[in-house]
Amino acid sequence: MDELLLPFQYDYMNKAIFAATFIGAVCAMLSSYLMLKGWSLIGDALSHSIVPGVAAAYMIGAPYVFGAFFSGLLASASMGFIKAKTKLREDAIIGLIFTSFFALGLFMVSLSPTSVNVKNIVLGNILGVSDEDIFQMVLIAGISFFILIFTWKDLMVTFFDESHAKTIGINTKFLTILFFTLLSACTIAALQTVGALLVIGLIVTPGATAYLLCDRFGQLMIVSTLIGSITCFFGAYISFFLDGATGGIIILLQTIVFIIAFIFAPKYGLVAAKRKIKQASELLRKTREGAV
Amino acid sequence: MAELFEYLTEPMQYAFMQRALLMAILVGLVCAVFSCFLVLKGWSLMGDAVSHAVLPGIVIAYILAIPLSIGAFIGGLFCAVATGYVKDNSRLKEDAIMGIIFSGMFALGLVIYLKVQPEIHLDHILFGNILGVQAADLWETGIICAATLGLIVVRRHDLLLYCFDQAYARAIGLPVKLIHYALLVALSLTIVASLKAVGVILVIAMLIAPGAIAYLLTNRFSHMLLISSVVAVGSSVAGVFVSFYLDADTGATIILIQTFIFILAFLFAPTSGILRKKIVSQNS
Repeated sequence: MDELLLPFQYDYMNKAIFAATFIGAVCAMLSSYLMLKGWSLIGDALSHSIVPGVAAAYMIGAPYVFGAFFSGLLASASMGFIKAKTKLREDAIIGLIFTSFFALGLFMVSLSPTSVNVKNIVLGNILGVSDEDIFQMVLIAGISFFILIFTWKDLMVTFFDESHAKTIGINTKFLTILFFTLLSACTIAALQTVGALLVIGLIVTPGATAYLLCDRFGQLMIVSTLIGSITCFFGAYISFFLDGATGGIIILLQTIVFIIAFIFAPKYGLVAAKRKIKQASELLRKTREGAV
Repeated sequence: MAELFEYLTEPMQYAFMQRALLMAILVGLVCAVFSCFLVLKGWSLMGDAVSHAVLPGIVIAYILAIPLSIGAFIGGLFCAVATGYVKDNSRLKEDAIMGIIFSGMFALGLVIYLKVQPEIHLDHILFGNILGVQAADLWETGIICAATLGLIVVRRHDLLLYCFDQAYARAIGLPVKLIHYALLVALSLTIVASLKAVGVILVIAMLIAPGAIAYLLTNRFSHMLLISSVVAVGSSVAGVFVSFYLDADTGATIILIQTFIFILAFLFAPTSGILRKKIVSQNS
């Protein structure tokens, strides 16, 4: 028993667990929207695109949040610009830009390898980040959380039915920009938790899992947030015993929850679908017999 | 002139640079040919997903002591097939499913990697290690490249038709499902072949950029194949030399040169470049 409580005796573990849980919750809230709109790739692209910014910020000793935000913004702007000016498909543009940015980050790091540990950016290292970085992460997550609490309904209306949202007086353009600002901010915070390569899991999996379990958007968001925060809590906790790999364990837990939901979800799971088919064929057989 | 010649010959005195150059050309070529199909089909995310999903395959192959390439191949293919399965059996969108599966597989690979601590460097899987390529790696990549290129060249009309118009391909009796899986197999093979050179993440760029550049420059598919191959091989060669003199990461340098060419094509392409469009709109 004492051994199980051991992680909580360390100050750095408490901070890491708290920060991871909080960020996981906010990312999960955002994931409900991303998944419905088919924007999953954008989250992945953002997380890769901020790598050069983070590397540059560490090199010159600036707060990493600024560097990350700047390069994320630059990447989104260039994606939008190229999309408007060429006939290339959107997925190719996104892929092109994010890998280019990532390569730029790697290139910069390889020129001065001592100043940045690229593994921390790519794989995350929440157990080893400084108090200052933890503070930045929690601040980002906190602000995003409050904004989402106050705007989630308007965002929902905007993304489900934009023209309806406009007629009831919602500023849809502002809300879309707000949403992507929140997404970039949370991606940056998540980068420190699970690393650039696994951010996509944090902002897709909880929402998708909840989508298999719920029909109403409000419920979906609550379930998704619960899944996100609980998996992040236990992921960070378990990683204490496994010497790191926090990001990997968190995403693995989320994937396991997804697989369980995929198979056993009461309405949309594999088992339920099989049962429905069976019932339908039985019904068909009975009506046929009745007709004879 | 003599000085330039020296710049080019100096790196080639080293055997590892020769091998790196050959590897870069091979990988550039096969990725370039494949990227034309991917860009047309809208499969860029599939490349992203499959490349991340090879990690657990590599790690598990290491534990079982079978060739890493086989593990990587199985991992990549599993991701693609699992995505198709979940898509057919749930109400989720394909992009979300891919995101879940490849991040889950990558996480699994990472956790096992850190637990087992194999002798292969994680950096080399993630970012490639082209300067450390051995003769055996070259042979392996060469064979995979030849097989993939052979498949694509022999079946290019079917593949092209499938990428452009799936419904029509089915209507004229092509085995659409078979072509679909053949493409997935070829994609996984290409990624596995490129791993040693550029790693899991940058291979995505190799699989998109050349095709996208060629797409901006021409409307004919045969020209597209040619331009994309020239661009990819050219940037691979340039990347190897530039990275030698800058002492930078070779894979990243190759990608950045491709990006630079993309920007040039974007600005100055003869019919679709934004400069040309400006001139046309001014004249009218």
